[in-house]
Amino acid sequence: MNEETTQEGEGGPVLLWITALALLAAMVAIFIYVPTEKTEGPVQRIMYFHIPSAWVSFLAFFVVFLSSILFLWKKEREWDIYAQASAEVGVLFCTLVLITGPIWARPIWGAWWVWDARLTLTLVLWLIYIAYLMLRAQTDAGSMRARYAAVLGIAGFLDIPLIHFSVLWWRAFHPLPKVITTEGLGKGMDPAMLATLFISLGAFTFLYFLMMGQRVRQEKIRDDIDRLKKDVLDSD
Amino acid sequence: MDHLGYLFAANVFVWGGVLFYLFTLRKRSQALEKDLAMLKQILDKGPAK
Repeated sequence: MNEETTQEGEGGPVLLWITALALLAAMVAIFIYVPTEKTEGPVQRIMYFHIPSAWVSFLAFFVVFLSSILFLWKKEREWDIYAQASAEVGVLFCTLVLITGPIWARPIWGAWWVWDARLTLTLVLWLIYIAYLMLRAQTDAGSMRARYAAVLGIAGFLDIPLIHFSVLWWRAFHPLPKVITTEGLGKGMDPAMLATLFISLGAFTFLYFLMMGQRVRQEKIRDDIDRLKKDVLDSD
Repeated sequence: MDHLGYLFAANVFVWGGVLFYLFTLRKRSQALEKDLAMLKQILDKGPAK
């Protein structure tokens, strides 16, 4: 195992504990601290999972976008590893967005799903990055695979600004932004609800970095294994 | 409005998904580390005769 891979593994337990504590704090805030919303009732608490999942998936796909650009520019395997790792974690959280959204929508809208612009574009985003992971899984490792994946990773990210602005550009079922508005951060929101949302956003962000760190480490170990296999074959 | 069942279902999916992914990460790491140790052992023994 190379020195770099070992060093990254050492930071793991600290981040693991920080993440566990942050998630615990988020659970306390969501289920004990925050007041129940008057019109939607307890089901509104789903938003404290739904919004952070959406945030993490956007963050993850932004990392794919940035890493893919850097890979195409510098041709360094390191950036390809970051893109691959982040895409996988992004798909996980995007899946959670697409599951928790309909669970919230059923009692509030009376329907699991509507073909609203934001919902449809989020489904498209999920499909793009599923295709990205399938492309990586179905083609042989090498610079061509990394290049095709990078192009798809960059193109897929262009859907995110559309998702963000879709509720403003088109008439939509999806609620309008309440945290980042033109009037200011969280204006009109209950301070306890805003604090809970930020605690949950922080906890999910730590969870993203924890998962991302593990996936990056795995890919580096896999590279070490490939190198050693080559050495074994050469020594025969 | 109550709908506690929906809140419960959302929690099951979120934590189920997160824990399942963390579990698969751990299994993958264990398999990779096992492969790496085996290869190192082969290399330490020297070339096959």
